[in-house]
Amino acid sequence: MPLLGDFCLIVALALAGYSFVFGIIAAVSKDSGAGFRLGETARRAGIWIFFAVTIAAFALAWAAMNNDFSLAYVKAHSNRALPTAYKFAALWSGQEGSLLFWSWLLACYGLVLRLRHKVDRRLVAMTSIIVAGIQVFFLILCNFVANPFGMLDRAALDGNGLNPLLQYPEMVIHPPMLYLGYVGFSLPFSFALAALIIRYPGEKWIHITRRWTMVTWLFLGFGISLGAHWAYAVLGWGGYWGWDPVENASLLPWITGTAFLHSVMMQEKRGMMKKWNVWLIFITFMLTILGTMLTRGGAVSSVHAFAQSAISPWFYWFLGIVFVVCLTFFILNRDHLQAENRLESLVSRESSFLFNNLVLLGACFAVLCGTLFPLLSEAVQGHKITVGPPFFNKVVIPIGLFLIFLTAVGPLLAWRSTSWGSLKRNFAWPAGISLVVTSALVVWNIRPWQGLSRVREWTTGLETAQIFSWMTILFSTLVIMTIASEFIRGGRVLQGKLNTNLFSGMYHLTRRNMRRYGGYVVHFGFILVMIGIAGLAFNQDKEQEMGLGDKLQIGHYTLVGQKYTQDDNANYGSEAAVLDVYKNGKFLGTLFPELRFFKASGGQPDHIVANHSTLVEDLYVIYEGRNTETDRPIIKAFVNPLVSWVWIGVLVVMFGTMVALVPNAEQIRSTVPVSVALKAMEEQGLEPARVGK
Amino acid sequence: MKRVARLLILSCALTLLLGADNSRYEKVGGKIMCTCGCAEMLLKCNHVGCPNSDTMIRQLRSQLQASPNDADVLNFFRRTWGITAVVEPGTHGFELLIWVLPPLVLGLGLLLVILVVRKLRLRASPADAGEITLDPHLEALRQRARRETEV
Repeated sequence: MPLLGDFCLIVALALAGYSFVFGIIAAVSKDSGAGFRLGETARRAGIWIFFAVTIAAFALAWAAMNNDFSLAYVKAHSNRALPTAYKFAALWSGQEGSLLFWSWLLACYGLVLRLRHKVDRRLVAMTSIIVAGIQVFFLILCNFVANPFGMLDRAALDGNGLNPLLQYPEMVIHPPMLYLGYVGFSLPFSFALAALIIRYPGEKWIHITRRWTMVTWLFLGFGISLGAHWAYAVLGWGGYWGWDPVENASLLPWITGTAFLHSVMMQEKRGMMKKWNVWLIFITFMLTILGTMLTRGGAVSSVHAFAQSAISPWFYWFLGIVFVVCLTFFILNRDHLQAENRLESLVSRESSFLFNNLVLLGACFAVLCGTLFPLLSEAVQGHKITVGPPFFNKVVIPIGLFLIFLTAVGPLLAWRSTSWGSLKRNFAWPAGISLVVTSALVVWNIRPWQGLSRVREWTTGLETAQIFSWMTILFSTLVIMTIASEFIRGGRVLQGKLNTNLFSGMYHLTRRNMRRYGGYVVHFGFILVMIGIAGLAFNQDKEQEMGLGDKLQIGHYTLVGQKYTQDDNANYGSEAAVLDVYKNGKFLGTLFPELRFFKASGGQPDHIVANHSTLVEDLYVIYEGRNTETDRPIIKAFVNPLVSWVWIGVLVVMFGTMVALVPNAEQIRSTVPVSVALKAMEEQGLEPARVGK
Repeated sequence: MKRVARLLILSCALTLLLGADNSRYEKVGGKIMCTCGCAEMLLKCNHVGCPNSDTMIRQLRSQLQASPNDADVLNFFRRTWGITAVVEPGTHGFELLIWVLPPLVLGLGLLLVILVVRKLRLRASPADAGEITLDPHLEALRQRARRETEV
């Protein structure tokens, strides 16, 4: 089976090479008949890449599932006692396998693209060539640089096992989701570059690209959140985001993808920002390559040290080639990207998108700076410094706050220009309510905001984090209110027109413009995530040695040590604590924090966190092991407010994205004439304003 | 509306200025990484029997008592445990660049957008703008059309 896999990898490379080279020849061919036939063979070769890479990926998974330790890769990332699901996950656990997985996902996307070639044959043909080019690069890596089918001189009896940190259910789906996101951005990139190369007329390509980008963005966002949840549940430090270089690498294309999804509306609605959009999608793709390089190349030190080697130079070259190709065609065809309209006012929907893009790119630049600065400092100063959470928190949080503020204001602005009067009218209620809500938090000592309740603390020494949290709540309330007002205002209009209730009106409103109102749902989910993050400022933690019957008091909770147990199976040995939990004296339940020692990894420990989660706060407990001097168990407990809202927010973002992907319902005919205003404006020779869509 | 915006900006600036950490231990400890290879922050390292974190935490406490200057404490850790032990870049020399670049780039970007929009507005024909906004009746009609076509 491994030999078949290895052979299929070579075949896949040959097919990708054929698809790339003959696709180009077909594209430049003067003879349209011969060019079409040749292009068709290139397309079919592209389809066959999928089957070849699928067989290769299956062969590797098969080898892992059947304990074929003659393969170096399987020996390094699996062992006999490993549960079956994790054996399958070994496919993407190491560098060679993950590059094969990258190729396979690209082949899947390529298959869909090539099967849907009737959408626009010329555009898809050029896009297919670019996808084949990317595929060639990854298949070269798989065949010659990081071949997953490398054989050992002598088959081992057992493997080294999967990294214990990866032996967690979410880790089975986190990398595929992340990679679906990373790889998926190849398609919008290829479409954008193809449209630029062939000087594609009209905006159809941008419609296609936007949908691909949304799907990809959804996968990437979900992958990132799964990673955050994994970190929270497994790493045992009480947090979910540590600004690790690999985490940052996944965030970067997500941020630029978000910017693209906003600015693309400017191009669709007003024919503006075409150059900007093209570069946004180019940069997004390049950041996914950078992310893959950081994850797999080991250029920066990271907690994700699952697969490190010296493949970075290959990625540097690939990035360089991609940049040169993009720049060349941009220079050659930039006249094709002239804007059809200009910005007319600073207070307009266009400006808000522009500011939103700038702020997002500012955040992206800050994260990129912090991620790559260690490399820069090594090159300049001769030593590699570490850039950790303090830097990112100080720089990114204020930018994030500005972004939340823009999220609140943007939807209230009209296209072209907004008068102060209309802004005041739309903004007054949301601003008033958000001020009232946040004042209430301060004045009435609403939990968990105790730190904000006393004026003395407020004026003398409140922690910066708490102030940021308070501002987050202020702006978040503003966003929620503006979203609600948008739904209610529109719902009321349809309520009257369709003679129905408000909720039905809002439903019909959403069905008529799924993208816009789905977008609002995404904003709402994003705000829930921000509210969850705001809770970080009020985290508490306590560490204590706890014998039988001993108590640990943290916040309103009391933990009582009931029992300490040990267990052993083929994969790992474990120690666990049995702790009764009381809140304000009332029994809540029992928690079982555990520490596992994985045998194949030389007894490497891994925490299994016990978490009592509510909408208000999480009681997060880890069993740290036994004090080497006293032999008493050590328990560490955290009270983390509002964490659940992070995960709920992610689900809402996903739901909103899916809503935005659904096509609009057919327009409902109104029984009431649209407006006398339109007629009057026609008489005056005026065009109605294009707003809000 | 402008007044509200100014008030908001002022309150944000004031809150930022007023914000000051009251726990040196948490603040300085939050800038130091455990050097045992666990890739965790010093105060978050949860490895029982960690060869470094206990010593580092003891040193942190004693240094905080000995020196009122946080920078001196961080420099002590840089000297003792290596430059990578401190995860916050310094604010002088080459490392200052990382603090300056992101806000500078963002600020320049915002400034550029404002200047470009202002320039484009000045280029626009004043007659076009005046014709619509000067007549209150027409402005009312525009507003109504705007409301009704927004759905």
